[in-house]
Amino acid sequence: MAASMQKISSHICQLCKRRYLTFKHKRSSSNLKSKPWKSVVGLEIHAQINTESKLFSGAENKFGGPTNTQVSLFDAAFPGTLPVLNKGCVEAGVLTALALRCTVNKVSKFDRKHYFYADLPAGYQITQQRQPLAVKGHVDYCISDKNSFETKTANITQIQLEQDSGKSLHDEKDRISLIDLNRCGTGLMEIVTEPDFSDGTDASAFVKELQKILQTIKTCDCKMEEGSLRVDANISVHKLGEPLGIRTEVKNLNSIKSVSKAISFEVKRQIELLENGGIVENETRSFDTEIDETVPMRDKEVKTDYRFMPEPNLPPLHLFDSESVKTVSSKMSVINIDDIQQKLPPLPEDTRKRLEQQYSLKRRDVAVLVDNSGLVDYFEDVMRLSPTTSAKLVSNFIINQLLGVLNDRKLTIYKCPVKTEDFGKLIDLLHTEEISYSTSCKVLDEMFEHPNIAPKDIVDQKDWRQISDTQILTNICEKVLEEHPKLISKYRKGKLKYLHTLVNKAVIDSNNKANPRILKQIMEDLLDNK
Amino acid sequence: MSLTKLTCRLWLQRVSRIKKGFCSKVPKTPIWEELDNTKIPNVPQIDQEMINHLERVSLVEFNNQAGIERLSKAIESANKLHMVNTDGIEPMESVLEDRMLYLREDKVTDGKCKQEVLSNAVKTIEDYFVAPPGNIPLKTKERDYGSNSNGS
Amino acid sequence: MLSLTLKEAVHKLRDGSITAKDLCEKCIERLNKTQQLNAFITETVDISRDSAAETDKRRQKSKPMRWRKLEGLPIAVKDNFCTTGIRTSCATTMLQNYIPPYTATVVQRLQDEGAYLIGKTNMDEFAMGSGSVDGIHGPVRNPWKYKFTSSNTSEQTKPIEQVSMRNYHTSTDDWHIAGGSSGGSAAAVASGVCFGALGSDTGGSTRNPAAYCGVVGFKPTYGMLSRHGLVPLVNSMDVPALFSKTVDDASILFNVMAGHDVHDSTTVTDEFNHFTLPDNIDIKDLHIGIPKEYHAPGLSKDVHNAWEEAADMFEKAGAKVTQVSLPHTQYSILCYIVLNCCEVASNMARYDGIEFGHRAANEDSTEELYAATRHEGFNDVVRDRILAGNYFLLRQNYEKYFAKAMQVRRLISEDFKKVYASGVDILLTPTTLTTAPTYKWFTERDNRTSSEEQDIFTQPVNMAGVPAISVPSKLSTDGLPIGLQFIGQNFKDKELLTIAKWYEQQVQFKQLDLDYLDTVS
Repeated sequence: MAASMQKISSHICQLCKRRYLTFKHKRSSSNLKSKPWKSVVGLEIHAQINTESKLFSGAENKFGGPTNTQVSLFDAAFPGTLPVLNKGCVEAGVLTALALRCTVNKVSKFDRKHYFYADLPAGYQITQQRQPLAVKGHVDYCISDKNSFETKTANITQIQLEQDSGKSLHDEKDRISLIDLNRCGTGLMEIVTEPDFSDGTDASAFVKELQKILQTIKTCDCKMEEGSLRVDANISVHKLGEPLGIRTEVKNLNSIKSVSKAISFEVKRQIELLENGGIVENETRSFDTEIDETVPMRDKEVKTDYRFMPEPNLPPLHLFDSESVKTVSSKMSVINIDDIQQKLPPLPEDTRKRLEQQYSLKRRDVAVLVDNSGLVDYFEDVMRLSPTTSAKLVSNFIINQLLGVLNDRKLTIYKCPVKTEDFGKLIDLLHTEEISYSTSCKVLDEMFEHPNIAPKDIVDQKDWRQISDTQILTNICEKVLEEHPKLISKYRKGKLKYLHTLVNKAVIDSNNKANPRILKQIMEDLLDNK
Repeated sequence: MSLTKLTCRLWLQRVSRIKKGFCSKVPKTPIWEELDNTKIPNVPQIDQEMINHLERVSLVEFNNQAGIERLSKAIESANKLHMVNTDGIEPMESVLEDRMLYLREDKVTDGKCKQEVLSNAVKTIEDYFVAPPGNIPLKTKERDYGSNSNGS
Repeated sequence: MLSLTLKEAVHKLRDGSITAKDLCEKCIERLNKTQQLNAFITETVDISRDSAAETDKRRQKSKPMRWRKLEGLPIAVKDNFCTTGIRTSCATTMLQNYIPPYTATVVQRLQDEGAYLIGKTNMDEFAMGSGSVDGIHGPVRNPWKYKFTSSNTSEQTKPIEQVSMRNYHTSTDDWHIAGGSSGGSAAAVASGVCFGALGSDTGGSTRNPAAYCGVVGFKPTYGMLSRHGLVPLVNSMDVPALFSKTVDDASILFNVMAGHDVHDSTTVTDEFNHFTLPDNIDIKDLHIGIPKEYHAPGLSKDVHNAWEEAADMFEKAGAKVTQVSLPHTQYSILCYIVLNCCEVASNMARYDGIEFGHRAANEDSTEELYAATRHEGFNDVVRDRILAGNYFLLRQNYEKYFAKAMQVRRLISEDFKKVYASGVDILLTPTTLTTAPTYKWFTERDNRTSSEEQDIFTQPVNMAGVPAISVPSKLSTDGLPIGLQFIGQNFKDKELLTIAKWYEQQVQFKQLDLDYLDTVS
């Protein structure tokens, strides 16, 4: 919308007596372009519970079994069959709730959510809409890339247990759907967040953290490619200061990349739509990974009324703590929330905080260590075996060098041929300045090739030891100074860069073995004192 | 009930009691309250939008006007519930609400019965159940809800 | 032989004075002679004969085998209990050809103790109704005052009146209904075809036909018997229930079936203590309550008199009898309408033709297939309830209807609790408003209206989950049985049965005797 001009007033100039008009730029018909856009994202994450059997039936819960072999009569909704709750699923749910710092409800209830779909044999899903397993938690996570690093907190609205549906394979040609109920009835934890995320990067960083947490406590294997972790995103945009916009739901995002891309695309799509005078519809969309765009999923009809109803075949679920468990007279096995709390292992955030404190490391470095599976164990093992080594150096070298070499050789840390003991010794050599930083990189490469040779031996063999002897270095420096008097005078005139030139020449004269720090110091001293 | 009638009835009851020489605890007359119809909420008109909506979520048709009238009657009966004062009363979902829900140990005890699971399906293809394509809304049919044909 | 009680039959089988084969043949003969009653949907005559033969073999074995509690006993099971390999139709087109791959727990427990299935009995479609007239196999006829015609009695095959699905009420025969929805099971026991039968009771579906057919109908406390394998009507109220000739018989069957089932989370986990009822019963310390609201409009004079006589009988025998109040009684049926319709709407959502049941031919889309399947598979009654139920469950209506009904349910349940807390042990009420109506009278009103009328005394019991039993007391002036209902306290089934037994011993109700049919050629 181009700004147009509008006449405001005219007046006569007192000097030249000519008439002048003053104009004002007409304001654009909407203020849209002036205020910045804000996007708001909330997530609903479905995590398949890592149990042997399903949520309400004893059929096996395993990925990729032969068609319809992991289906009980209850899963296929045969008349007269009834749900029986899996204790393992409840324990997993409670453990997850505690890991996400939620309040676990002592009493929770199950509901039926009704809708018709071929992969839902009963015509309803058993879920926990009214009184879920846990409410009000939070997760601390970091968003990081090359240039920035930010820590954020996301709030969890609730965690509920519910059934997964079966799978349909659509045959477009024959116009049929083939239904496999193996997955039908598998336990899911639905983790609902507040709309706390600002964009795709933010949301995907959170999902990564959630994955790490769930994998640490082993309640979900989070293999998004197998569908054991699926993300639905609710996305809306609005202008800063104005009310929230209409949201769309993008369903079934099954990789971290998809989460990021889909949300970014959707935000962009909504902004463009609104800037062109359109309206965002409250609809469900899916993400087409071929074209990296969100597309409408269901028909553009009014949202279904799920007609929630309490599940009559499941009386309320009672959970206990160490106090209330004493009042239970029944011999039935009960779930004690406090017992489960004891079983909670250190979570990624706990580990980050501990590493920060214990080793005085920076948050950014600690984040990388925790981010990469196995790296913390490697690091701590190195520190254990070489307690006097600089933790900072160790972590730095792991992050900046070791990871790179592993990547190049397509190895994981678990298959790293360099033993932690040897790694520690390498860092010791670096720490004591027996070798330079660049040499240590070369030694690391050698250690990969020959893991059985100790780093000290490699250094000796290759004659890579740094010269740190002050007398030798002084001699070298003096020789350089004698050979380049012009450079000295240029330095003395204030051109400090010639110090580096002199130092470099000395380094070359030393066959690159000189300890650069000491060499520089000596050169400076000589120049200043001469 | 008028005062005269009430007095007569009571007198008759007393007489029969004296005759028997024994007081039966079974009441002689019906006790049910007459409901004040003016206090019962009206049954809302069931318009075409509601008909379509209900048929879509139920995947079942009303068929004819008689069906809609039966629904109205059911709502009328349900509306009488509003004569009961339920302030502060917690809804009762299950008579077993105070009992502990039985929890099953996490073991594989079921499944592996593909033949049985498929045994009653009219159509299967290679161990899969077969369904037509989904997510296509029902075609709205021309239905005559003005006629009063027999429930069929 | 068929006029024996279950207890007597079991004893005679045990001591060998009758063989299982003889008993079985007698039952099958009676079954054939009473085909017109239309009490059975599926007859399992071959299975019966095999099981009876098996029982006789057990007796002859040299190694002593455990003689099971119900060895050689034929029972009938309502056609909404799943039985492996035997069609379970629920009297609906939707499940007309459904062969379950599993057996209901309660049926299995009876079979494990040596009982065998003589057939699956007729009922209202999906147990919706109080007359057993709304099923696709036609109505069940009450054996009382039924004019058996000799032309049909000798036929071996079933001349079932194949009433078309859309055309129920065309017959103008004047016979009495058996009550419902478990009418077939009631008629089977009353006519001597078997010694005990299973029914289901959601709002009175066992006690109602028991009263009409002059047999004992026992609904245990909700949670005592497993519902695994019972096709549900209202999950929060359904209870598997029993028909028998005497209260002792009901007790024997109950003791075999009761106890926790891992497949049903609504069965109580407490250990079940088996019991037998005493023969000498003293009621001097008993406190009986007469809820005054149970004198409802429409109560017939005969039923009222029977109720009065029973109350007076207890009082004269030394029990304390007081009039009490269950103030929310008249709202119970309204509450039931809402909760019933909502659960039906939900429970019926699984019938789509994909995994089991009837499947329509329309394959245009899933929605079209489902709609056509459900149109063809369900009768009007079922469809009405689904639509009403979904109406009540709509987001905008949930609080107004469903939540409200659940609140009223609590009030009804509290009514019972308060009365029992005040010292009352048992309540005594009529079971039904009248004796068994004629088919013609009954079919003049629609299913919902008749349910509203017929279930008013039985329904509140299901709301509260308490146990209740209908015991035949006497015949009416026109020769039909009148049933009286005893209502007990939660999980005090033994106490309830004991009192009912005392009453039965006093009235000595004479069972229907159809032995004359055996002489008819």
